Amino acid sequence: MRNIRNLILLAVSTIASLPYAWSAPAGEYFVYFGTYTGFTYMKEGLPAGASNSKGIYVSRFNPATGVVSKPELAAELVNPAYLALHPNHRLLYVATEDPLSLGPDFDHESYISAFAIDPATGKLRLLNTLPTGGTSTCYLSIDKTGRYVLMANFGSSSVTVLRIKEDGSLSEQTAFMKHVGHGKDASFQSQAHPHSIDVSPDNRFAVVSDLGVDKVFVYHFDAATGTLSPDNPPFVEAEAGGGPRHFVFDAAGKFGYALHEMSGFVTVMAWDGASGTFTKVQEARTLQPDFVGSNDSAEIAIHPNGRFLYESNRRFRGPDLWGPDSIGVFAIDPVKGTLSEVEQVAPQGTMPRQFAIDPTGGYLFAANELTGNVVLFRIDSTTGRLSATKTELKIDVPVCIVFVPVER
Amino acid sequence: MRRIRCALFLMVAIALTALAGPTAFAQDGDFFVYVGTYTGFKYVHHSKPYGFGDSRSKGIYVSRFHLATGELSEPELAAEVVNPSFLAISPNHRFLYAVSEDPLSLGPPLDHSSYVSAFAIDSASGKLRLLNTAPASGTSTCYISMDRTGRYVFMANFGSGSVSVIRVRDDGSLGELTSFIQNVGHSVDRSIQMEPHPHWVGPSPDNRFVVVSDLGMDQVQIFRFDAETGRLSPPGPPFVKVYPGGGPRHFTFDLAGKFGYQLSEMSGTVDVFAWDPSQGTLTLLQRAQTVPHDFFGGNHSAEIEIHPNGKFLYESNRRTYSETQRAPDTIGVFAIDPEKGTLTPVEQSLTGGIMPRNFTIDPNGKYLLTANQLSNNVVVYAIDPGTGRLSKTGKEIKVDTPVCLKFIPASR
Repeated sequence: MRNIRNLILLAVSTIASLPYAWSAPAGEYFVYFGTYTGFTYMKEGLPAGASNSKGIYVSRFNPATGVVSKPELAAELVNPAYLALHPNHRLLYVATEDPLSLGPDFDHESYISAFAIDPATGKLRLLNTLPTGGTSTCYLSIDKTGRYVLMANFGSSSVTVLRIKEDGSLSEQTAFMKHVGHGKDASFQSQAHPHSIDVSPDNRFAVVSDLGVDKVFVYHFDAATGTLSPDNPPFVEAEAGGGPRHFVFDAAGKFGYALHEMSGFVTVMAWDGASGTFTKVQEARTLQPDFVGSNDSAEIAIHPNGRFLYESNRRFRGPDLWGPDSIGVFAIDPVKGTLSEVEQVAPQGTMPRQFAIDPTGGYLFAANELTGNVVLFRIDSTTGRLSATKTELKIDVPVCIVFVPVER
Repeated sequence: MRRIRCALFLMVAIALTALAGPTAFAQDGDFFVYVGTYTGFKYVHHSKPYGFGDSRSKGIYVSRFHLATGELSEPELAAEVVNPSFLAISPNHRFLYAVSEDPLSLGPPLDHSSYVSAFAIDSASGKLRLLNTAPASGTSTCYISMDRTGRYVFMANFGSGSVSVIRVRDDGSLGELTSFIQNVGHSVDRSIQMEPHPHWVGPSPDNRFVVVSDLGMDQVQIFRFDAETGRLSPPGPPFVKVYPGGGPRHFTFDLAGKFGYQLSEMSGTVDVFAWDPSQGTLTLLQRAQTVPHDFFGGNHSAEIEIHPNGKFLYESNRRTYSETQRAPDTIGVFAIDPEKGTLTPVEQSLTGGIMPRNFTIDPNGKYLLTANQLSNNVVVYAIDPGTGRLSKTGKEIKVDTPVCLKFIPASR
């Protein structure tokens, strides 16, 4: 019976993800930008700098021409630091990371808001807002069925799951997991800090990167109830002090790639989807051996063709001595899943906290948090190499990018 | 418009409170007594559970209490549930909410979530029917209460240092999380105050504020509460500090809503505050001692409650001489000055057992029942309504690891 239910869920999830595959190649996209509205960046756990941003912005993008419209305010919201698109492409979920803009020690709750996307204009209509059940919520994702939103609460060391109602609005909490512990880096790892949570391709597991305890957790995810339960083993131990931040599965669901913020390593792991276990395959460097300074790697993504992996690195050599930031390009071995470096490209700005590849695979958008610009790079789909275009958007403190196909 | 709506809510709230209040009990009927227990271990000390497998309890028990005789019936299992360590009953007496403090019975470092379950109360048998279960949005959730309208449950998540609020649907089941407050901080006692530990949360008499006792931070916190949305809003009125290392555990307002009483676990002090309901502020009036001056050893005060006649305050104390030597545990009785709200000691009574984590007074004020966690008994004491003094009735029931007691009137 349980197996049958899982099969049905799998079927549902497959169907749910199909429209994405159909609509991806053709037509235009709305591109949504999340921002910090109350500060520019977090400096040693406290907000620094100012922001003129008002919330979530939207542009229209044509991947055939590379033309992107001037961003407009899609919805006013405090610190919409992370966005996630529903599989039906009609709903957008947004985390308000620090409602008071005072940082983790002072912001005693974070919020999540559900928005309906206006298919004509791309503007967002608020459905409802609820507490995330944590603080400094820095990441969220939607399960494959579109019935749950999963959140990583960096400040309060927890991950939470909320149910999504039929109308897209947010409902009750279905899971709460608290991580306990610390890592060896006293400045960032005095407590657990979940930084990302994503479901596995078959929707049966959830993978959590915990920057504070240097572990990648695997939970069983029950899409019938929205609950999480620890896997056996419950986590993969990462390199001490590395700081797992973001994670991505490859397109085929055979490998997982964990990016570590402080060490800049990418851990390549073989994924056994039946048992939900990872086996380490490779520790790939993103830093040059002669690099001197501090590294904060941020985002990781795989090209839609499955052959290349991209990751961003924010670096500094001293107080207000930023850079050299980079976006690393790696070729993926199709059999072994291992990475070999293609190039490191300057993001044409400072602090590339996020970037995103358009679903057709033609362009990479780099969001430079400190310089307030989003730069378009052309992707060579055979070599993976990036070349900067002349196109860039001015957005204050951009920290998240999401593509949504425009319905026709 | 908003004001009118607020006023309406207040009236509803007051009406509901009046219906549920002591006046409705002013008859010598039977009561159901619900007993929350630990099912997975015996007790928690410094955030670690002890006595794994030593509790034979299976969940929440119910016993019929006959007010005329003080007799408790043989307790029956009302609902099977893991570690139902605190209970709250809706103002209409139709629903009971129980927290599962440590669902895996492993203690805070490994327990990833606490749960809260909603039950419908069978008014004839007192048995409980599960409606639904939701995460408490925290760990080691040790306290639950309801707002005055019965539309929200408040939870204190001791382990993860947060307070959460969940909406109650019309059918009594639990809905969405409406508020979440993560405390950040610590205090002076390195054994237990290295991080925040909310231990109590409850509404002000007019439902406009919510008070939180944080044992880890030595703070009594006040938040504005919006009964329309279920949200707690910081920054509220200024927080109040108790004596450093005191460990605020449970709080109670007096019946008139003029005073607040904060019991601190480690220091055993009761801080008496004047409550200003218009501003939501607490002003310290007195720091009353519950521990005798010649006492040496460890003190862990636990529960605090005011007699329905408003004249007496009771609080329980769990005490140890050493790791292995327990007792003498006591229930402290204090007279309340009706004008000033201050406390005068009446007596320190025995509890009829060991480790009185909880006790409660029947709604008519005739009896006080102690829940002795380690000696596995619920003991009935008679209350002298003139002096507040407790006397043995010789009546008790056996319940394994009892840690919470709640009364509701039984239908006849």
